[in-house]
Amino acid sequence: MSAATLDKAPPKAKPRLSPLERSERRLGFILLAPAFLLLAVVVLYPIIELLTTSVRFYHLAQPWMGTPFIGLEHYARALSDERFWESTLNTVLYIVITVPGAVIVGLGLALLANQPFSIKWPVRLGLLLPWALPLVFAGLIFRWFFEYNQGLVNNALGFFGIGPIPWLTNPTFAFAATCIAIVWKTSSFVALVLLAGLQTIPKSLYEAAEIDGAGKWQQFVEITLPMLRPAIVVALIFRTITAIQTFDIPYAMTNGGPGHSTETLAMYIHKTTIDFLDLGYGSALAVLMFIVSVIATTGYLRHTRRDPRKA
Amino acid sequence: MRKFITFALAGTALALAGASSALAQTQLRIFTGGQQRPDVMRQILEGYMAKNPGVKVEVEVGGATSEQQQQYLNTVLASRDSSLDVVLIDVIRPAQWAAAQWAEPLDSYLGADKDATMARYLPAYREANIVDGKVIALPYFADAQFLYYRKDLFEKYGVQPPKTWAELKDASKKIQDGEKNPNLSLFQTAGAPIEGTVCTYLVPLWQLGGNLTDKNGKLSLSADIAKKPFELWGDLKAAGVLPTNIAEIVTDRMRQNYQAGQLVSTMNWGFVWNRVENDADSQVKGKTGVVPMPAYEAGKSATCIGGWQLAVTAFSKNKAEAVKLIRYLSSPEVSKQQAILASHLPVFPDVYTDADVLKANPWFKDALPVVQTARSRPVTPRYNEVSEIIRTNMNSFLAGTKTADAALADMQSKLGTIFK
Repeated sequence: MSAATLDKAPPKAKPRLSPLERSERRLGFILLAPAFLLLAVVVLYPIIELLTTSVRFYHLAQPWMGTPFIGLEHYARALSDERFWESTLNTVLYIVITVPGAVIVGLGLALLANQPFSIKWPVRLGLLLPWALPLVFAGLIFRWFFEYNQGLVNNALGFFGIGPIPWLTNPTFAFAATCIAIVWKTSSFVALVLLAGLQTIPKSLYEAAEIDGAGKWQQFVEITLPMLRPAIVVALIFRTITAIQTFDIPYAMTNGGPGHSTETLAMYIHKTTIDFLDLGYGSALAVLMFIVSVIATTGYLRHTRRDPRKA
Repeated sequence: MRKFITFALAGTALALAGASSALAQTQLRIFTGGQQRPDVMRQILEGYMAKNPGVKVEVEVGGATSEQQQQYLNTVLASRDSSLDVVLIDVIRPAQWAAAQWAEPLDSYLGADKDATMARYLPAYREANIVDGKVIALPYFADAQFLYYRKDLFEKYGVQPPKTWAELKDASKKIQDGEKNPNLSLFQTAGAPIEGTVCTYLVPLWQLGGNLTDKNGKLSLSADIAKKPFELWGDLKAAGVLPTNIAEIVTDRMRQNYQAGQLVSTMNWGFVWNRVENDADSQVKGKTGVVPMPAYEAGKSATCIGGWQLAVTAFSKNKAEAVKLIRYLSSPEVSKQQAILASHLPVFPDVYTDADVLKANPWFKDALPVVQTARSRPVTPRYNEVSEIIRTNMNSFLAGTKTADAALADMQSKLGTIFK
């Protein structure tokens, strides 16, 4: 199916197509054309624009400078830009912490929702709500939770004689707080995917295991996890791609602060283009972010090329 | 098919109706921020529309802070969108707007009136709105930072309103010792990474005679003075005069805290007075005093100049009507109206001594000299970057994540690439 398998196949003479087959093929191309055109307009064109802008000086606050070609100057600047590295590191940290975090919490939620409750809708609704909530709202809600004086979290900690903790003004705490918010917000999506996976596991497997004397934990490790593997991989891929683009929640909670300690690459790009109006440099940063996401997703893409059930 | 025809007919009818009403009326759209009292602007516009039945003005409100508003405007104007005719912009922005060619120069519209019109304003606003000899915008209201303080508490403990930072510290301590209220914050200035935090850095710097740039626009932060603002705020934070969470404090939050009776004094702008005295939920009505900011030495006060300007966008389709509107909004009459309704500081010297204005804002009698001597933040088309560098470093320092030396070094190296 993939290009790789075609290459390996022994070269065969091209089979001659009958007129019917040829007209069918033509129809196929015609039917595909609108989709290709749409993709070209909304994907290809912006990418080409991005690449060409990234090698030009393009600063809206300095229109008298024009948009001269400057080669790879922006890229060189990015590589020696501390803030670029800091925000890249933050983005990687967000991926490393919130992706497994969301999968673990999501798995727990999915297992909970998969229990034979007599009324199912409150559980399902509870799973759907955080997912349906706009990201910025989630960020604002958590900002209030973690607020220093009036926040719920410090209030609750106060009952145990702890705190108050400067959640949003200490770099470590601010990072932790944004991670908590992201995990809360994204684990429900993971839970939905995993719940769908859980429901495809035949009940008979568990019955057989029970007869063989397997305990609940053994059933979980030996049946649930392996059978859930494809669903987990899907959830991981989606979650990682969104984690690379982390923007809304830190933007609403800390605006990248204190200093730049919770700023992600996406936020830095936003700041450069929308605030500083430096479209050229912002585009170069966006190209670099694209490279980061390619690197991060390559591992998964390799994995999906195999049939996960066989692995 | 019949359905399609019906829809098409309905659409044509609607379009025609729209076109005919557009012929009869000029639609103008004005953008303002949530903190600049859109309610008062609407009230003023009602009056304008009553006098000019051919014009309909819609108010669009967005952005709680100056930089959030500018962010939105950046996207609208960078795409050359014509939906906004008039925009309220911060006093720091005319240079940028002129450079980006987003504001329609007003010279040809003002014509022979240009010099006479501009001469009426306070000099600072005349200068701020003329960039390279062109009138970029007209001032809507003036602003400066003052010290708002709880007159009742100061009187209770027999302390005078502070003239120096040392006095502020002593007075705050005295009130804290007497009140013994852990929820009572003593003094707040903007500390979050927002525009107001730039002033938190610049005010003490100016008070010491320091400057960000010299006459040629080169960076002129001398090491010993440039570090002093960090030391001042660091000292006040260590003494508990500034709250622990100062790094998350934004401008309007200080007003809310003050109004709730949880803050003794704050460095804040003119709009606070009206809210404190008139808001239904204000706990401190009639208990507030307003004085010039304390300084290192009594009498050597300085503050940031603020205020908002009316610009006509370069992409507006109704420029002539829009200019007429802003000339009205930038008149002594409207200035007086704003002073009474919103405690917005007037841009005309005479309005400060108007009896009705003084009745609503008794402290305006001493406000004119403060506005007249208030200082401008650096004027450059790349102000957004300058602001970001100063406010993030100030914010990191207040959060305790950077030392004064590290924050200053970072500021100097980054500002150096802009002011060279």
